[in-house]
Amino acid sequence: MPLLSKNKAEAVNEFNQYVKPVSLWADAWKRLKKNKMAVVGMWIVGLYLAVTFGAAFLPFYSYTDQELLHANLPPSTRPAGRVAVERLESRRGELLVAMQASNREDLKRDLDRVNEDLDRVRFELDRDPVHKRVYLLGTDYLGRDMLARTVYGGQISLLIGIVGTITAGLIGIVLGAIGGYAGGWADNLLSRFVDIMYSLPYMLVVIIIMSMFKDSSNATVLGIPLNIIILFFAIALVSWLTMSRIVRGQIISLKNSEFVEAARSMGAGPGRIVFRHLLPNTVGIIIVYSTLQFPSFIMNESFLSFLGLGVSAPYASWGTLVSEGVQGMQLYPWRLVVPATAMTIFLFAMNFLGDGLRDALDPQSKNRS
Amino acid sequence: MSRFIVRRLLSIIPTLFIVVTLSFFLIRLAPGGPFSREKKLPPEVLQNIMRKYHMDEPLLNQYFRYIGDVLRFDLGPSFRNKDHSVNELIGKAFPVSLHLGSMALAVALFLGLSVGVISALNQNKWPDYSAMSVAVLGISIPLFVIGPLLMLLFALRLKWLPTSGWISSRAGWATVILPTMTLMFPYFAYIARLSRGSIIEVVRSDYIRTARAKGLKESVVIWKHVLKGALLPVVTYLGPAFSGIVVGSVVVEQIFVVPGIGRIFVQSALNRDYTVIMGDVIVYSIILMGANFLVDVLYSMLDPRIAYK
Repeated sequence: MPLLSKNKAEAVNEFNQYVKPVSLWADAWKRLKKNKMAVVGMWIVGLYLAVTFGAAFLPFYSYTDQELLHANLPPSTRPAGRVAVERLESRRGELLVAMQASNREDLKRDLDRVNEDLDRVRFELDRDPVHKRVYLLGTDYLGRDMLARTVYGGQISLLIGIVGTITAGLIGIVLGAIGGYAGGWADNLLSRFVDIMYSLPYMLVVIIIMSMFKDSSNATVLGIPLNIIILFFAIALVSWLTMSRIVRGQIISLKNSEFVEAARSMGAGPGRIVFRHLLPNTVGIIIVYSTLQFPSFIMNESFLSFLGLGVSAPYASWGTLVSEGVQGMQLYPWRLVVPATAMTIFLFAMNFLGDGLRDALDPQSKNRS
Repeated sequence: MSRFIVRRLLSIIPTLFIVVTLSFFLIRLAPGGPFSREKKLPPEVLQNIMRKYHMDEPLLNQYFRYIGDVLRFDLGPSFRNKDHSVNELIGKAFPVSLHLGSMALAVALFLGLSVGVISALNQNKWPDYSAMSVAVLGISIPLFVIGPLLMLLFALRLKWLPTSGWISSRAGWATVILPTMTLMFPYFAYIARLSRGSIIEVVRSDYIRTARAKGLKESVVIWKHVLKGALLPVVTYLGPAFSGIVVGSVVVEQIFVVPGIGRIFVQSALNRDYTVIMGDVIVYSIILMGANFLVDVLYSMLDPRIAYK
């Protein structure tokens, strides 16, 4: 009789004591929960997902509304109108001092404009509810709320990460499984193809693709801008390579084991063997690798957006926000620091979660980084 | 071994050919061209320009003409930068990028290995914890976030270093520091983690115990026995690190206005300067594939167990 049979009632050890059967997942979960950093990472990732995708139901300001009187306001917990008045007053003070030294024409014009704005804000202060807004993380150069922009930018960034991971995962798993299980010429062909693709300078090819289609950004397919779709494809096109190599290796090492033999002797076809028996045994490593790959998609997208080749206005991603922030970082550092911090915290959390998952699902690889 | 080297070198040629062909048709496929501007040129002028650059011929003719030129090491004239040939542009920019990249790699290796050794020898004590936190930070933050933040802190706020430029500018050698630090950071972090992990593993192995049992000095054990065994994963990582640095330099050169091939690459991609893009792609591909080749050879020299057929 097997020591631990499948029937729960009979799950007893050699001393005839009842033991609760422990599945791979329960075991992995237990290990993951012990890893504090991974748990914190998981909570942070969950929070990010909830906030960015639930943004429409949360009380954020619009990320497209421009309020030019509120341009470049620093982070503050006070109403925007007051902050704007203070800033305009200090600017007026500076201008008056500067004008005592010289009476340049442009200074005078600046002063007139500041006075005009000041009058307008003071007049509207208690009438227009816009000035009651609170910009916790400041505003950008068009007076848009940085908090809302960062949240909605995160939506695009995370979406690209998720779609990229799924696409790369699907292509990689299917091709890897076919190559690994079939062997022979199919495997040879796929492996050579993967080898060649690997040695291509992939990011450079993506840069070329994106720059070529930059001008067609106002074309849309199903309401999604064409260049975002091309971005998805360009990134997913090459990122399945590693996944397919990993799956292929796993399948090859598993396909001659006894349980596959048993399945085959019971009359299971190749499809059933691959999808019911082989792939479930590689799920652990697929999950681990996907989690580790997810941040790299976000990084790649932001990399392109930073160069001005990724997501374009009115959409924004973390990369676009960072590159916008760089432009005024000396005077308005929060415009750079806010999206950069949001992005870094997420990538940080994702890395800890990925490491934790790897240690939990694949204990043999412990201490390898 | 020598047969492996020859075969490995020969395999670069078809890949390079694929890269060139792929980029050539990719670039021509896209709408717009190097001469489409805001203000439309008169048709006769456009015709003349097209004829001058052989752009009026069928695509296949253009392709074979280009391949022929490339085989003679002539990358053609720049479409946008009329006074310069692509060879000149790249010839001037390449040393700058090479300098930046090799310096970043060297600093990343040196700092990464030192931090890795210190962490591993103080496992689970404060130097280990603080070093590894910095390392995870380095792996998590993208280059284009580190770069501007370093610039904001050291150049704009503290005013210790110049914001941009390169050695030939007025600020001189100080311009090198920020781009190098930015570019090396993720690779430094990864190398530190990698070497820490493998040193911890090697220290526990039997041959190290034997070395200690022989009564060798601790420094000899570390330098002669541990490091040699622990270096392998780092060497394997050199290939990916190198290509990462090459691609990363595109962004870093953009941030710090370094006149290297990365900057030329982005500009020409945006301007549709066909020949310059192609030239850049060829140079980049040769560098990347050459580096991977070197890493493979180095690897087989370090680990005699790996025999190449």
